[in-house]
Amino acid sequence: MDYRAAFQISAAGMAAEKLRLDVTALNLANMHAAGTSVDQVYRPQRVVTQTVSFGQQFGAMAGAAAGVQTAVVPQNVAPRMVYEPGHPYANAKGMVAYPGVDNVTEMVTMSTALRAYEANVTAMNAARTMAARALDIGGQQ
Amino acid sequence: MSIDPVSLSAILPGTSGVDAFASLPAVETVREPAPGFGAFVTQGLDAVNATLVKADTEVRQVAAGEGPSLHEVMIHLEEARLSFQLLAQVRNRLLDAYQEVMRMQV
Repeated sequence: MDYRAAFQISAAGMAAEKLRLDVTALNLANMHAAGTSVDQVYRPQRVVTQTVSFGQQFGAMAGAAAGVQTAVVPQNVAPRMVYEPGHPYANAKGMVAYPGVDNVTEMVTMSTALRAYEANVTAMNAARTMAARALDIGGQQ
Repeated sequence: MSIDPVSLSAILPGTSGVDAFASLPAVETVREPAPGFGAFVTQGLDAVNATLVKADTEVRQVAAGEGPSLHEVMIHLEEARLSFQLLAQVRNRLLDAYQEVMRMQV
């Protein structure tokens, strides 16, 4: 059934957006995790999606392996230095390294992922409605 | 004004009259029996049943906190529903045709 291909494309988009949400949650969870040194501090992760080209996508549809290639890469962000002299991880100057997670960016990423997921669901529902309408052909009124 | 007659060789290049059929293999008198209609229906039923069983298994896995992601399971459920609806429509058509034949005046 060729509608499975449309479902698989939407599923690939949903998987990518779900991963984006997971990574955002990971960044937020580690936002206040102090590192023992500047090198050891958590670096915010970012999902990088790579589109599979159109021809490739539709060639792969036959094998139902259409997809968006995703990779989670750590960002090169300078850690946030906070002056806490009593902290066990404080350096000689009394500064503690916290991950450079930007709260606003993470929230915007989260909202974008949520809306993009919804868009994928809508596209899938449209494909399903189309298939259901096709099954109505020739039926009783 | 004259109209040229249409010849077979003009339409189908490489053929010249009846000789073209001489190259065809002789019709075999004994043929293998074609797979019956029952086998066709059974095959379709098995395919639909396989989708339903797969969706059911995945729902169990998700309920148990493992297995594929939620959207995959929902999509497979939708696929199973669509294949079942297709089966129902095929059955409706078959029944219609059967009743049409039964109503036939002899």
